[in-house]
Amino acid sequence: MPDAGSNSTAALWAILRKECRSEWRTRYGLNAALLFAVASLTAVSFAAGRLGNRTDLLSALLWIVLLFATLASMSHAFVREVEGHTMLLLRLVASPAEIATGKLLFNVLFLLVVEVVTVPLFLVLMGAPPVRWGVFLAVLGLGTVSLAAASTLVGAMIAQTRGRGALFAGISLPLLLPVLAAAVAGTREMWAAHAVAPSLRLLAAYAVALLAASLLLYDHLWED
Amino acid sequence: MGWRIGLFLWISATMIVAFLKAPLVATLEETTRVLYFHIPSAWLTVVALGWSMLHSVLYLWKRDLRHDDQAAAAAELGLLFCLAATVSGALWAKAMWGAYWNWDPRETSIFFLLLLYTAYLALRGSIEGDEKRARLSAIYSVLAFVAVPFLIFVVPRMYATLHPDPIINDRGKVDMDPLIRWCFTAMLLGFTGLFFWLQSLRVRVSRLERRAQLARG
Repeated sequence: MPDAGSNSTAALWAILRKECRSEWRTRYGLNAALLFAVASLTAVSFAAGRLGNRTDLLSALLWIVLLFATLASMSHAFVREVEGHTMLLLRLVASPAEIATGKLLFNVLFLLVVEVVTVPLFLVLMGAPPVRWGVFLAVLGLGTVSLAAASTLVGAMIAQTRGRGALFAGISLPLLLPVLAAAVAGTREMWAAHAVAPSLRLLAAYAVALLAASLLLYDHLWED
Repeated sequence: MGWRIGLFLWISATMIVAFLKAPLVATLEETTRVLYFHIPSAWLTVVALGWSMLHSVLYLWKRDLRHDDQAAAAAELGLLFCLAATVSGALWAKAMWGAYWNWDPRETSIFFLLLLYTAYLALRGSIEGDEKRARLSAIYSVLAFVAVPFLIFVVPRMYATLHPDPIINDRGKVDMDPLIRWCFTAMLLGFTGLFFWLQSLRVRVSRLERRAQLARG
């Protein structure tokens, strides 16, 4: 294959566009994820009330809401292909690494859209104190990439099992716990005006490690 | 056969010496003796995980189902030793800290391993077809290998722990009474021998199961 580099970039881009288009056509996944995130946010907010200055609780609850949104929506990108019987066709036109990376990019985008709605709503409903936007967005961004990296690969695996949706939460949770720990610590320190750098470093290191492992593992995802 | 009797005698003798002769550590008092079970179990939890991951990588590389048998057997035994370490640790924590569970970083780490092992085995149980099961669970295992250092090594270092550090400490040496150290090392070796014996049994069972399945067609 001549010029494999630009070819695979083109394939990545094509898969990302295809994902966005087929999502936009039905908006089924996005609506479900948004509704779920808002529902868990409502449950948290309704049960806990306005927490105001308890920023330790606020950071924990924020990331639990985001974790739930991840668990509810991230297997969708692959399960949709299997249920629509389109997986084989997709594999004919692109390599496993291109498919998985394309879906990873889509999942990052997807989570960002969910967060654009959920996070401001969370801050308002819970009566959170003002945030330091630069640091807060850095924690959110790195956390999102790590959440998506771990759950995309697990989603691709889960789509090939018998349980599919039911198993996804249990199996991805151990991989998401480091993200949860570091992201909660980072958000807490952001509100307490402490140094956020250690948590950010931890999140970035985990994201890089996950992405590197994923790129090595994507090629083993499908075979027959 | 001989070495199995040897292993039995080795562990029994160590247990007798540990309970009757070895002194108690001042602050730990009677709970000192949990050391001879708890730490070898925790050690084997990590050894089994490493063994399982090693064979998962080997499977992805060589595509030989024997590596998958090893990985699966080690995960099952790892879960067993992980439970032993968790329960003995919780009992010890009740005696020393006054509560069975308080999310000390060490408790968090072992709980995480427990989750990981059960998730791995749940994943295995949900996949049809030997090759596919071996391949996907190997992928999960390698991915877990990335997550483990973060929780086992990074998180406990980030938060203060009350857990005693008999093996790995900042001073880099072992502060133990010679007899305690002797019993402890003997138990560590004995448990490791026990693990590899159980492992070989489990692998043989898997191999026989596969052969029986083939014979049935």
